[in-house]
Amino acid sequence: MNKKFNTEESTSVVSRRDFFKRTASVSAVAAASILAPASLLADDENIMHHPKWGTTLGDECNYNPYGFPSKYEHNVVRRTSALMSSAGDMHAAISMTPLHIQKGIITPSGLHFTRTHNGVAHVDPNKYRLMIHGLVEKPIVLTLEQLKRYPSESKILFMECPSNGAAEWKGPQFNSLQFVRGMMSCSEWTGVRLKTILDELGLKPEAKWMLAEGSDGSEMSRTLPIEKVLDDVMIVYGQNGESLRDEQGYPVRLMAPGWEANLCVKWLKRLEFGDKPWYAKEETSKYTALTASGKAIQHFYALETNSIITSPCPEIPWTDLKKGDLVEIEGLAWSGHGTIRGVDISFDGGKNFVEASLKGLVLPKAWTRFSYMYKYEGKPLLLQSRSYDDSDNVQPTVNQEKKVVGVEGVYHRNAIHTWAVNAKGEVSNVQVRS
Amino acid sequence: MFKLDRKSIIIGTSAIATSALMLSGCMGTTAFGSSSETASAPSKVGVYAIKNKTAIDGGVTYEKANGTEAAYSYNQQSTKGVSFGRTPTANEIKAWDIDALPDGTGLPEGEGSVEEGDELYEEQCAACHGDFGGGGNGYPQLAGGNQDKDENGIVITLKNQRLAPGMDAPKRTIGTYWPKATTLFTYIRDAMPYATPKSLSANETYAITAYLLAQNGVMIDGQEMDEEYVLNAQKLTKVVLANNNGFYPNIDGPTGPADVKAFFADRAKNIGSGTRCMTDCKDPGMDGKTEATVMKIGYEMKDVVPAYSTVRDLPPEVEDKSISKAEKMYNVNCKLCHATDNMGAPAVGDVAAWKEVTAKGVDKVVYNAINGMGGMPAKGGNEDLIPSEVKEIVDFMIESSKPKH
Repeated sequence: MNKKFNTEESTSVVSRRDFFKRTASVSAVAAASILAPASLLADDENIMHHPKWGTTLGDECNYNPYGFPSKYEHNVVRRTSALMSSAGDMHAAISMTPLHIQKGIITPSGLHFTRTHNGVAHVDPNKYRLMIHGLVEKPIVLTLEQLKRYPSESKILFMECPSNGAAEWKGPQFNSLQFVRGMMSCSEWTGVRLKTILDELGLKPEAKWMLAEGSDGSEMSRTLPIEKVLDDVMIVYGQNGESLRDEQGYPVRLMAPGWEANLCVKWLKRLEFGDKPWYAKEETSKYTALTASGKAIQHFYALETNSIITSPCPEIPWTDLKKGDLVEIEGLAWSGHGTIRGVDISFDGGKNFVEASLKGLVLPKAWTRFSYMYKYEGKPLLLQSRSYDDSDNVQPTVNQEKKVVGVEGVYHRNAIHTWAVNAKGEVSNVQVRS
Repeated sequence: MFKLDRKSIIIGTSAIATSALMLSGCMGTTAFGSSSETASAPSKVGVYAIKNKTAIDGGVTYEKANGTEAAYSYNQQSTKGVSFGRTPTANEIKAWDIDALPDGTGLPEGEGSVEEGDELYEEQCAACHGDFGGGGNGYPQLAGGNQDKDENGIVITLKNQRLAPGMDAPKRTIGTYWPKATTLFTYIRDAMPYATPKSLSANETYAITAYLLAQNGVMIDGQEMDEEYVLNAQKLTKVVLANNNGFYPNIDGPTGPADVKAFFADRAKNIGSGTRCMTDCKDPGMDGKTEATVMKIGYEMKDVVPAYSTVRDLPPEVEDKSISKAEKMYNVNCKLCHATDNMGAPAVGDVAAWKEVTAKGVDKVVYNAINGMGGMPAKGGNEDLIPSEVKEIVDFMIESSKPKH
């Protein structure tokens, strides 16, 4: 029950009629104070008055030909931090998706996390060319329109930076869902299955690797194995029904489903097939995972089975709940190895688990929603979620992961996450670890 | 309170029945393994039919048959013969195919000395990467760090793990960490300098590459790289960086892809995997003697942009200077009738109509606007407008209806 006046709507339209109505309801509040407790609640101004938007002419139907969100949503934004950059320079940096606001499994394109190595390029689609060459019988060069002539395919797939959660290897650092796990998003991507094109170009049998190269200032490039290329790799130009956003590589990026987002090279310019791996520029001090042995994992492809509880979270806590309220615990699970089979939830920091339900679409290499109805008791909790997938991958504990790869690897962190809920319903980021 | 799937109940129950030792471990653990999975369901352990349980990334691939691939339907008609685009010219391929491999394939002609590189580095690189590649300005450190190796050939400082505050980080410089020197050349040529990438010639790139290798103490063919040392493609190909063998799985040679596949197939050993325990679980990552603790945030990172907020309100008003206050008020209160003459009102912009309206003077027009006239309600129907605002609107309408020169 909203007992406060809605300041925006109640005060901006001060007509005589409104004035009398308001006076009447204020005296009603005064009168109510001597009545029985059940009648004490003031009438909600938002119900008792016609709102401004109901008494004035709205905007023309197409006042904004390419729409944007309600202006009341201005705090629903990607956020970044100097920690995600070089010395606060935001050209080679990362911005995080506001997962705490997100419902369902599709991230609005404008809120999709961004990672750039040399700023956001703005490519002229008329000057765009894609070259496919190397160990193929027939090399080709395509314009954007020609690429779009190939039969299209649309898939809902998550996209995740392998650094997602990297700030937390040594301990919790951000008290925010957005910064704990926001280097990921999920979209419907549309483009061409690369195999469809390669079937015509005639891949030579000695081709074992593919170089994907971007046209931006960083000339982003990565090497992919041919097995993946021939399985499900796409060349995409569409995202959630519109063209890719500039930040996502407009007009064309590579999509390697379930694999590190940096392999999904943006502003894609060239695909070359060869018999040796390239050791490209982002296969050096970046995107290799140093383990405690002193050796580093290279060509680290698929994002691990992972999950996070999105409600409650530090941004949207349970501080408004009363004891006995029945509330939904909700979250996201995803795996670059396959399809989520299930998610378990723990209330005691991993000693005991219950099975959550999956809900909505359960798709390979896509965000999958899980849900558990919980009776809130106002007691402190250590909330965890643990996902498992159809490749038999189960999320490890912090200590299990640390035991195998150490804490300096930066990439592919998928340890079970813990939110501490205190007696007031406040939520904070903690880790259960040795 | 919760349900286990059938298999975990069986495994859990038999574990309790057969061994009391399970009490110290993990009761009700669901064992995952291809043998138990394949016994119950040959090609489907989840929602979708699996084609391959040993994909190169350790994951699964899905059956594409009979118009369905996992959750997706597809058109089963042949796409054979679909072909667009054209063959690139030899010059076009030459212009774009400039990548280089560790064996030297693709490296261009040219050369540059350490001394020339020193000068270029000072001008173009030091501002970000620090003097001598030593970092310090927030951008990657390129040189420095201890390259000493242990008896197994591993760079000792790369084993540094910051398990407690104050411990040393492993240093990931070219000398201590990078696998291949050819990457340094293509990286600099294609992506550097940061603000003006692709502005360096091949000779300049060889020079800067030479300088950075020299700063990292690299020897080529047993020779130290002094100031006069001149680097070219042949010499660059001979560089063996200290951490050349510090990466796994193997990707080179004919077994490369198979080695990668074998590595990712053993996830528990190589990457770390969990176990699906449901009750009285002991953390398998612990030694069994100490209890896990709840680690709270020591130093919270609050430096975020824009600042955290979940408030839903109107954003601070940004004044739209492209449109006057009078025009805004006109748009809200008057435009509906006055945009065209369809409703009998004089259309704004209609010079002749407004000449007639203003014939008796502007004051009369303002008076009519305030009090109403004919079909027009007082103040256009918005009694909240004050007279001075009505006058502002009228002035705007008159001004917009004057002949344009």
